[in-house]
Amino acid sequence: MTPNGAVIFALAVIAGAALARDAITLGIVLTITLIFGLGSRRRIWGALAWSAGIVLPLAAFMGAVWIGIVGRAPAEIAASLEGSRAAAAAYVAVICVRLFIVAFAIQAAFLHFAGWTPLRFVGGLTAPPVVKKLLVLTLSLIETILQAVDRARTALIAAGIITRNPSWRNLRHGWILVQTVWLTVVTIAIGRTRDKWPVEDTLARLDGALATSAAPRLGAADCGWIALVVAGAAIAWGLR
Amino acid sequence: MFTTPRLVAIALCAALNFAIGNIAYLIKLPIYLDSIGTILCALLIFPDRLAAIVCAFIAGFIGIILSGLIVNPFLPWFALTVLAIAIVSALLTGLAAGTFRARPLAMPAFAGKVIVYGVITGIVSAIVSAPVVVYLFGGVTGSGSAFVVAFFLKTGQQLMNAALLSGLATEPIDKTLQVLLAALLYRSTPQEFVAMLAPPARSPAT
Repeated sequence: MTPNGAVIFALAVIAGAALARDAITLGIVLTITLIFGLGSRRRIWGALAWSAGIVLPLAAFMGAVWIGIVGRAPAEIAASLEGSRAAAAAYVAVICVRLFIVAFAIQAAFLHFAGWTPLRFVGGLTAPPVVKKLLVLTLSLIETILQAVDRARTALIAAGIITRNPSWRNLRHGWILVQTVWLTVVTIAIGRTRDKWPVEDTLARLDGALATSAAPRLGAADCGWIALVVAGAAIAWGLR
Repeated sequence: MFTTPRLVAIALCAALNFAIGNIAYLIKLPIYLDSIGTILCALLIFPDRLAAIVCAFIAGFIGIILSGLIVNPFLPWFALTVLAIAIVSALLTGLAAGTFRARPLAMPAFAGKVIVYGVITGIVSAIVSAPVVVYLFGGVTGSGSAFVVAFFLKTGQQLMNAALLSGLATEPIDKTLQVLLAALLYRSTPQEFVAMLAPPARSPAT
């Protein structure tokens, strides 16, 4: 599978989940997504657990609000009906399955590219060179920022300005951590842009690396997965 | 439009949007801080308004895509909100760029502009986000504002109205804080970096 195929498949599945309005259609989309995950020939439990971990707190929150407090579904509110908690629960279930599919589709796409570096994945995408360059630069700077966060946080904790655990001091002085991190990365960026990159010819080399790692736009496997989505859409349409 | 320093600024602001959530998480702040990079990018590139809109949107968009892939898969649905914030920041908040960098700091003007532009950004953000919040999340996003939605629903409001009213009640506060942080970061950004982002000087016609 190519990165382009994975992006198209994931977007199609997410669009399908967003458009699905009933349990049957959502079931079809979920089945296709599970097949896609299994098609990576890797263990999917981690991806399932991650997706469930994202959705379960939201589900608990939605359950508390819709089933516990409101006690009826939006359609019943719109029709000025008294409504029932069962209808509210069904509404929450549909929303949660939809969110789970969105989360799992992204994780399943990741499974197909386990072991790839971000540079190789971005290089395989069909996108304008400036977009690919921006993605790589951003990923690189995220690493820089996260390292700056670690260093600054340790220093500010050691100086007694912020604390390791939640505190009012963190609320008052958290800004200093943000400012320290920003100044660190801006200084690094100035140094790279003005001196390091021109000397090392980094951006031209990056263009070359992204161009040489470009894969075919779509492969046979991509067409197979897209055909599966089309078949699923046809089945869902037929069952309406 | 995309000079190398501007590409770096976009990447920095996208990375800031991504990482700032990490900071908020690390020090357990009860706010989101997910658009500071977008607002900051517009401030850095102002007064070139078109470039500021485009660059701020790209910074915000890359930020939500990366966050969507790694942390929160539902953020990319708010791409239109990012565009709205980029437009407001480039066309309105940027007007305060001089006040934000003024030395010494003119406190009343600084605070007034932060509040006015923060509230406007919050209102626009709430209006643009409401349909996504209603359709994707059923009006409940897992934040405390969900109980505001529940309150309005309980009083008989329709879901879209409830989500919109909840957004209008909470977003201006969050966005005012974000404009404040973006303004403070803009103020502390070295002049050398701001100068690098100025549009390339056109050579005189010969």
